[in-house]
Amino acid sequence: MGELFARTCAAEWTRLWSVRSTWWFLAAAWAMMHGIALMAGVSTAGQPDPPVGDPAWGIAPIVVLPAQFALLAVAVTAVTAEYATGGIVPTLQWTPRRSVLFWARVVVTTAVATVLGVAFAFTCGLVGWVAARPILDLEGAGVLGTVAFVLLAGTLLSVGLGFLLRSTAGGLVGVFLLLLVLPALLPQFGYEWLTEIADVLPGTSAIFLLTEEPSGRGLTERGSVVLMLVWAVGALAGGWARLVRDDAG
Amino acid sequence: MTIEVRGLTRRYGDVVAVDDLSFDVLPGTVTGFLGPNGAGKSTTMRMVLGLDRPTAGSARVNGRAFAELRAPLREVGALLDPGAVHPGRTGRAHLRVAARTNGIPTARVDEVLAQVGLERAARRRIKGYSLGMKQRLGIAGALLGDPGVLLFDEPINGLDLDGVRWIRGLLRSLADEGRTVLVSSHLMSEVQQTADRVVVIGRGRLIADTTTGELMRGLGARVVRVRTPEADALLEALRGHRVARAGVDELHVSESSSAEVGALAHAAGVPLHHLSELEQSLEEAYLALTGDAVEFAGHG
Ligand SMILES: Nc1ncnc2c1ncn2[C@@H]1O[C@H](COP(=O)(O)OP(=O)(O)OP(=O)(O)O)[C@@H](O)[C@H]1O
Ligand SMILES: [Mg+2]
Repeated sequence: MGELFARTCAAEWTRLWSVRSTWWFLAAAWAMMHGIALMAGVSTAGQPDPPVGDPAWGIAPIVVLPAQFALLAVAVTAVTAEYATGGIVPTLQWTPRRSVLFWARVVVTTAVATVLGVAFAFTCGLVGWVAARPILDLEGAGVLGTVAFVLLAGTLLSVGLGFLLRSTAGGLVGVFLLLLVLPALLPQFGYEWLTEIADVLPGTSAIFLLTEEPSGRGLTERGSVVLMLVWAVGALAGGWARLVRDDAG
Repeated sequence: MTIEVRGLTRRYGDVVAVDDLSFDVLPGTVTGFLGPNGAGKSTTMRMVLGLDRPTAGSARVNGRAFAELRAPLREVGALLDPGAVHPGRTGRAHLRVAARTNGIPTARVDEVLAQVGLERAARRRIKGYSLGMKQRLGIAGALLGDPGVLLFDEPINGLDLDGVRWIRGLLRSLADEGRTVLVSSHLMSEVQQTADRVVVIGRGRLIADTTTGELMRGLGARVVRVRTPEADALLEALRGHRVARAGVDELHVSESSSAEVGALAHAAGVPLHHLSELEQSLEEAYLALTGDAVEFAGHG
């Protein structure tokens, strides 16, 4: 099992990096994050009453909030491009043990998106710190752990949705709806039950973990973590079941 | 090194694509897998490769279900749809992924690329490949693990004349090395030169499973067409043969050869204007076999 899994992961690694879309999405994430970090740093330095001594890492969640979608797109397309192109047929010919393929893909895409996302967030903190010098501090890097969790749970959800829906458009729209559009939109209508629905969506948890907003709705850190994990596990279970039980393509 | 298909059945809603199909494919032979469009050839192959789930029955490769194999490329090479590849990868990257999945040394990738004549296109993206080039890439993938069992679904599609000749030679030499080769086609003429055995299906059901020679004999192939101004005299000389009169001056002689008919005519002193063996008889025989089983017949 170990050796088979290792070589399947090695193949997934080559698969991921040998298509251009991976590079484009990562480049987009990098540019977006560092651009925002630079602007945030500069505007902090220009404030009349600068927040002296605040941690520079506070920039990380702000840049990750919009840029996570470029990272999640890497995960979605790593799965769905194979269904669009028919590439899933040779893939399953080479790795007919579908659970092995599933977990190798989950591990490789999640690791790449999360590790690079956190690394980018780290350099964004440094960029902000330099741009705002000498106002910000380099203490309190623990927020990067929160960033890592949000990216990890988001990528797991994205991979699961990709396997479940088998469509790039469907996967990307699903990720957007669950992580951004519905959590932001539903509470706007002012109906309590719509807000309650919004509160159990993974996007509300992600936003709360990153920004501590919205306050006053009774959200907790622990509850948000659990909720994101439940969504991730649910999507993975659905995606796994479809891959293992259905025809290849 | 065998493929065993037992009671294989696949339904798509109301359509029975494959219907209780059983046959064996044996080592050292090229087995032609024949049937009209929609007969269920591709569906059968996808089930053998564990890609589609059978409604009933099973398919085994080397005594095991394909989906259980840990390094399938080393046992079974297959080319189904040559277009089913990510167009953004280079041909070489595509095969390197394949090699990684099965623990095959990447040096082997360049070997098979050279073998199929793609070394110059290897570093180009597949989206720029022609159908024939994709076909060759798929064949390279099938050969990558040096497998004992090979399946090709209509490998001749899209190949030029040289390519067709090349693939016929390749199939032959693979079988001569003792491998098990199953190659599908909807045209009898495509496989009659290369196949030792044929499995014919129509509407998902087995119609014939026999050697190519037997199929030809059993169907009264080898018709000799002969034209002569003295048809009656020739008819007399051919007494004992199965002869059909195709016109005032034309006879069709079954189960004979042009050499035999020519010799008999010469002995009887009958002048001949034309003497040939009808190549198409096998095709016609195949059409006769599958005629009732054609799914999509043209109209008009
Ligand atoms: N995914 C599917 N959904 C519904 N019907 C299908 C599906 N795949 C195949 N079929 C049907 O199953 C039957 C057999 O199709 P199959 O592709 O196996 O035929 P084939 O012998 O390979 O034909 P061809 O010579 O045209 O390639 C056809 O009637 C086809 O319409
Ligand atoms: Mg077919």
